[in-house]
Amino acid sequence: MQILRKTSLKALEVAKKLGPEATINLIKEKGLTGRGGAGFPAGLKWEMVRQVQADEKYIICNADEGEPGTFKDRFIIENNPETLVEGILIAAYAVGAKKAYIYLRGEYECLKESLQKAVNKVKRNSKSDLDIEIFLGAGAYVCGDETAVISSIEGLRGQPRSKPPFPTTNGLFGKPTAINNVETLANAPLAIMFNDWNDNLRLHCISGDVQRPGIYELPMGMELSVILNLACPKNPPKAVYFGCFGGCIPYEGHESLRLTKENICGEGCLLGACSMIVVDETRNIVDISTNIAKFYEFESCGKCTPCREGTMRVLALLQNISMGTAKMDDIETLQELAEVIRDTSFCGLGQTATHHIINGLEYFRNEFEERLISAKKKKGRKAKGKR
Amino acid sequence: MDYEIYPPSPELLPMLEKEQKNKGWISESALKRISIEAKIPISRVYATASFYAHLHLEKQGKYIIEICNSPSCYLNGSLDLIKFIEKELKIRSGQTSRNGKFSLHICSCIGCCDKAPAMMINKKVYGNLTKEKAKEILKSLK
Repeated sequence: MQILRKTSLKALEVAKKLGPEATINLIKEKGLTGRGGAGFPAGLKWEMVRQVQADEKYIICNADEGEPGTFKDRFIIENNPETLVEGILIAAYAVGAKKAYIYLRGEYECLKESLQKAVNKVKRNSKSDLDIEIFLGAGAYVCGDETAVISSIEGLRGQPRSKPPFPTTNGLFGKPTAINNVETLANAPLAIMFNDWNDNLRLHCISGDVQRPGIYELPMGMELSVILNLACPKNPPKAVYFGCFGGCIPYEGHESLRLTKENICGEGCLLGACSMIVVDETRNIVDISTNIAKFYEFESCGKCTPCREGTMRVLALLQNISMGTAKMDDIETLQELAEVIRDTSFCGLGQTATHHIINGLEYFRNEFEERLISAKKKKGRKAKGKR
Repeated sequence: MDYEIYPPSPELLPMLEKEQKNKGWISESALKRISIEAKIPISRVYATASFYAHLHLEKQGKYIIEICNSPSCYLNGSLDLIKFIEKELKIRSGQTSRNGKFSLHICSCIGCCDKAPAMMINKKVYGNLTKEKAKEILKSLK
């Protein structure tokens, strides 16, 4: 696998020989794109931070991988932490930062010790004076948002902030900050070091109703059926969810869809970090949607009203459908509410929290209606029995 | 961000996490103590402490069990597992057993989707769970 290749601090040496500007240009030339989901070019981000005049600058390595179905950062921290730390050193050198934070999610506390060892080892071997602190999160999905990470490190509630100003100019403690995903930073030394490095290779996380869940390093643009067959689905797949936030597409009719950002966007979904949760034909979409709605209801940070109140109402509507207490109009209400939450929420969490419902209603509306009708019948029978 | 109103205090969350780790929960007196030590108003300490899922402001059992119920684990039978553990420990999720040994929580994805269903007990991860396996793990903790 490309991501497991070692650079043994040679990439850092190359970067130091080149100088900061040339390093940034090299990263730009190689086309390293951010792997956190938004796909912002890493070189451009570093350049923006470098160009700001400030007495202090920061690097944050975002290891708050909260998205259900995504576990690539864990894989990198477990298997190639030295390259990740080298990437942090290179980023800090390129932007001129003296301090770096690794924001490790609380769920990964068990990885902290081994990561700390890797940090110590790399720092010792490179004689770097960069201060790298592993900052442990405490269980909040929203802290994956770059401005929420900043709030969390500053000791506040981990709520997102409005942009602009962007973290590249007003980040941690108000100073310019480059926030990069684990996979991005681990790729930086590889991009500098190897001529055959390929930006198109991504870690695809596949889980759900499959016999071989796990990480598959594949080029972007593979056919959906090819990817799923690698993981051996238990039964014929019905739908594929792109994490919780990305929404879903039906498998039928999309077998030969090539998995790229543009193609997935065209289907009204978001690819994000290439994570796929396979749902097979034995499942009902209403159950999956209810499960995801519970997740968002719990994880909404409470800052803005559409997300805080909306995710709660969405969950209630879905539960009413399953209990048979909803009306047929409520499916319309659900759709309208989902669209309002998407359009009016403050941050990425709320804006994507109802993708699964919008897609679910688009492709599997009959399942929602059938569930409501059968639940109503069941309820009717029970009421009769009681009489 | 107005840093005059909200001066940054990067030491706060680690202090709260330390208290959580040592004591198993964060009491009101601990909040007061941290507020004095860190020179941060208690309202702000409470605001931060109450935000995070891993910081518990109510007394917890010796073992805090957190079972993942996000889609990948759900598809691999986490609901059955939760019901089973609730029955074994004779508590509902969110509660603490009478002998003060176990607290049970349903949590969001713990990043072990390839080992679903999974749970964490005091931050240690157990994956590929079955009812038998869960029973054995609970037994070993008793």
